[in-house]
Amino acid sequence: MAQPLKKSLKQVKPILSLDKEEARKRVLHLYKAWFRQLPYIVRRYDIPKNVEQCRSKLREEFTKYDDIKDVRVIDMMIIKGQMELKETVNVWKQKGHIMAYFKDTIEPKPTDFLSKFLTSKD
Amino acid sequence: MLRTTLAKVLNGAQFSPKNIAVITRAASDQAAKKPEKIEVFIDDIPVKVEPGTTVLQAAAMVGVEIPRFCYHERLAVAGNCRMCLVEVEKSPKPVAACAMPVMKGWRIKTDSELTKKAREGIMEFLLVNHPLDCPICDQGGECDLQDQSMAFGSDRSRFTDIDHSGKRAVEDKDIGPLIKTIMTRCIHCTRCIRFASEVAGVDDLGTTGRGNDMQVGTYVEKMFLSELSGNVIDLCPVGALTSKPYSFTARPWEIRKIDSIDVLDAVGSNIVVSTRTGEVMRIMPRVNEEINEEWLSDKSRFSYDGLKRQRLVTPMLRDSKGELKPVDWEVALLTVAKQLKNAGPSVGAIAGGFADAEVLVAVKDLLNKLGSEALCTEHTFPLDGSGTDLRSSYLLNNKIAGAEEADFVLLIGTNPRLEAPLLNSRLRKGYVHNELEVALIGPKVDLSYKYVHLGDSPSVLEQLVNGQHQISKKLTSAKKPLIIIGSEVLERPDGGAILSAVQKLCAATNPQTENWKVLNVLHKVASQVAALDIGYTPGVDKIRELSPKILLLLGADEGSIDKSDLSKDTFIIYLGHHGDNGAAVADAILPGAAYTEKQATYVNTEGRAQQTLTAVSPPGRAREDWKIIRALSEIIGATLPYDNLNEIRNRLDEVAPHLTRYGTAENANFFKQAEALSKSVKSQIDKTPFDVKLKELQDYFMTDSISRASPTMAKCVQAVIKQKQSKY
Amino acid sequence: MSYFGIDRIFKVFQTMRSYGGIKASLYKLWRMDSLRPGILVGTDKYGNQYYENKSYFYGRNRWIEYAPKYGFDYDGSQVPAEWFGWLHYKTDLLPSQDPSRPNYKWMADHTENLSGTSEQYVPYSTTKPKIQAWFCKMTFFDGT
Repeated sequence: MAQPLKKSLKQVKPILSLDKEEARKRVLHLYKAWFRQLPYIVRRYDIPKNVEQCRSKLREEFTKYDDIKDVRVIDMMIIKGQMELKETVNVWKQKGHIMAYFKDTIEPKPTDFLSKFLTSKD
Repeated sequence: MLRTTLAKVLNGAQFSPKNIAVITRAASDQAAKKPEKIEVFIDDIPVKVEPGTTVLQAAAMVGVEIPRFCYHERLAVAGNCRMCLVEVEKSPKPVAACAMPVMKGWRIKTDSELTKKAREGIMEFLLVNHPLDCPICDQGGECDLQDQSMAFGSDRSRFTDIDHSGKRAVEDKDIGPLIKTIMTRCIHCTRCIRFASEVAGVDDLGTTGRGNDMQVGTYVEKMFLSELSGNVIDLCPVGALTSKPYSFTARPWEIRKIDSIDVLDAVGSNIVVSTRTGEVMRIMPRVNEEINEEWLSDKSRFSYDGLKRQRLVTPMLRDSKGELKPVDWEVALLTVAKQLKNAGPSVGAIAGGFADAEVLVAVKDLLNKLGSEALCTEHTFPLDGSGTDLRSSYLLNNKIAGAEEADFVLLIGTNPRLEAPLLNSRLRKGYVHNELEVALIGPKVDLSYKYVHLGDSPSVLEQLVNGQHQISKKLTSAKKPLIIIGSEVLERPDGGAILSAVQKLCAATNPQTENWKVLNVLHKVASQVAALDIGYTPGVDKIRELSPKILLLLGADEGSIDKSDLSKDTFIIYLGHHGDNGAAVADAILPGAAYTEKQATYVNTEGRAQQTLTAVSPPGRAREDWKIIRALSEIIGATLPYDNLNEIRNRLDEVAPHLTRYGTAENANFFKQAEALSKSVKSQIDKTPFDVKLKELQDYFMTDSISRASPTMAKCVQAVIKQKQSKY
Repeated sequence: MSYFGIDRIFKVFQTMRSYGGIKASLYKLWRMDSLRPGILVGTDKYGNQYYENKSYFYGRNRWIEYAPKYGFDYDGSQVPAEWFGWLHYKTDLLPSQDPSRPNYKWMADHTENLSGTSEQYVPYSTTKPKIQAWFCKMTFFDGT
């Protein structure tokens, strides 16, 4: 005898947004906020990048998470993005933190035999 | 002299522990008369022991260690330090545990008031004449006297006599460049004297005077020069004899100790490498009853400073002007790879004495991939008859420990005292304690024991084979005969004929023990057995014939091949750790690691695979040898299928499984087949007398690239020469 | 006249004349970023000229014109020790006027800061290397 189907959707408490549309608006809002700040960031931090490069990096950072559909996850990421923005704009960060968006500071360890041999790292 | 007295001891009171070791082994043959065990009580713990066991040994059986200074397991009992005094119930006086055989029902008290008081008293007497210079003493931290005075000594000194006679002071002696003497610290345990006369066979040390005036010394102004002299440093319980090269360089508690294997001769002694701040500070022996007991030869012990000189630390290439210029690894590997690619299958390799099994296999795999079979070892071995196909014809089949059980040993063209000092100490042990008789065909040398010299003519060997020699009877009637043939005579052009004659001779003997192997080959270099096991061709004749476009020298420094033997445009690659003869002629140098700097497999002359461990990292840009070959193979495009030590060890296992069974000696067999094959050898032994390179002590110290670079070894050679000129 | 600042224009011309014409003045301006009239008080043995103009404010009224051989490659370390004191107001006496200056035969010649050049000072280790490397030409201990 078939069991009665359980209700698969569970009501959860929203973080910020009530639906997808609202989340989308929030994302765009955050994007715009970053976008407007970019020229000031470039100037204040004196990084070896121009505004154009920063814009493409900003777009890259946002489009990296294209496939996330869960509203709660999106909300959480909006909060994180907002925090990052605040830290950046208030110069709580340093130059290295900004440059870390562009390049990882840790050199990857060699994995194949020959590069291990040449760098004498085992 | 020593021999007769000890033989008496052996027959009379059989309580010398070392004798017991021999006796128990001998007893296995004649199991009929086994004496009944007697029961004694050590601190009320009952233990059953053989009659003749000393109190000290009986206590050791139940795990009670009695303090001692003069007593040493491997030396005769002296009983003069009195530290081992223990109380025996119903005995009026405390007894010296090391010299007193137990009686039935004895109750021995090792922790009683009387024992403690005796120890404290002895300690006080010893310290009355011992300087308080522990802070500047090299023995500090590993000193028996220091430890035991902490454990058993009084908590305060009663010594007040500084104003009148003071402490005894003794002049220091110069006994050579290896051992530093501070004779004031001597407590007269006479361990060094006993070692010199019993084990080393050099009766140079002795005592003069009595009581407070007693002195240990050499009687006349003479140096204590022996190939085993360094062992008295380990034996000395105080800081009277310390190591000269090691003096004031490190303290025992700041040192890291790494177990390893010695590769300076083919014995494969077990060693402990002490390192500090990435530097080898000293090398000491590690106990292995099968190989070196607890001794170590001087070359193995003191030539470590050669590891810090004349090193190859960076890859080098010969430029257009003919000078070797340092380059980095990329350039070196690319250049060598280009040459290898151009040469195609015209590649040869020669393995020297320090090549480990890993690099031997890697080079063999690489050259086989390139289509070459020209893999040779620097030291020759006859290929007639079964050649190197059967292991039995190139191993020390009866093992090193087996040598002391033999009752007749025939040495052919070898000087074991200098080629394998620890094998010689076994023979001497057999000679002293086991009525061993030794005969030698070859140049007359000092073996530290008496032997019958049969002359150096090969005709003696022929006479023996025919059974016409006066000693033939002894050889055939011996119950445990051994024939030890030096690898050096087998390097002669008529080596095949000599080996087949020896094999015939071995077949004619009648060993009475099962699994007793008469034929024993003594090699001189550490790599030889592994190379032959892996399938290298002994000797460089193949290289001479082929004259390959590229020659890879794996630490081959003995000058077995000359530039004139090769065509002019031969590109020589040297892979090794020392700048020596090989590096001087090379066009490209790839710096490898020495035996203290890599985890590598070596097979000793008895066929025992053992591994060294990494004590320090290779200097500069030097790399582990097999890794260089592996990197090279990748650049050529013939990548070898192993990336790490485990994988290459698996490959070793595929080639020859015994190479990874560390610590065990794989027995060789097919003696009969080898002997049968040897009958096919038709060549004749020529008339040139047998010769050995190492005849006297000064030849011993500098024989390979490490010991040639060692200043200490150079000093030893000078000291021996100086000693020769002195009137004593 | 001075009220309208016209005398400054005259001063400019005067200065330019003292430098030897418009072309030379423009070169000086390019090289030293300023044109200042001053009295030449001395020249050192490297060819550097020292000027003073007391009408400028203290701290700007003594300056050096580096020798032409330095071109645009001049820097403060090219000032020799005897002029350093005067230039930095440690003393008002010119080197030639100061009798108490030590002057010994053994005193070394002035050198400019050589950092970044091939002659720069590089500290070296005085500890013995742990490993002695092999070089092609070698000798063994026994002299062979």
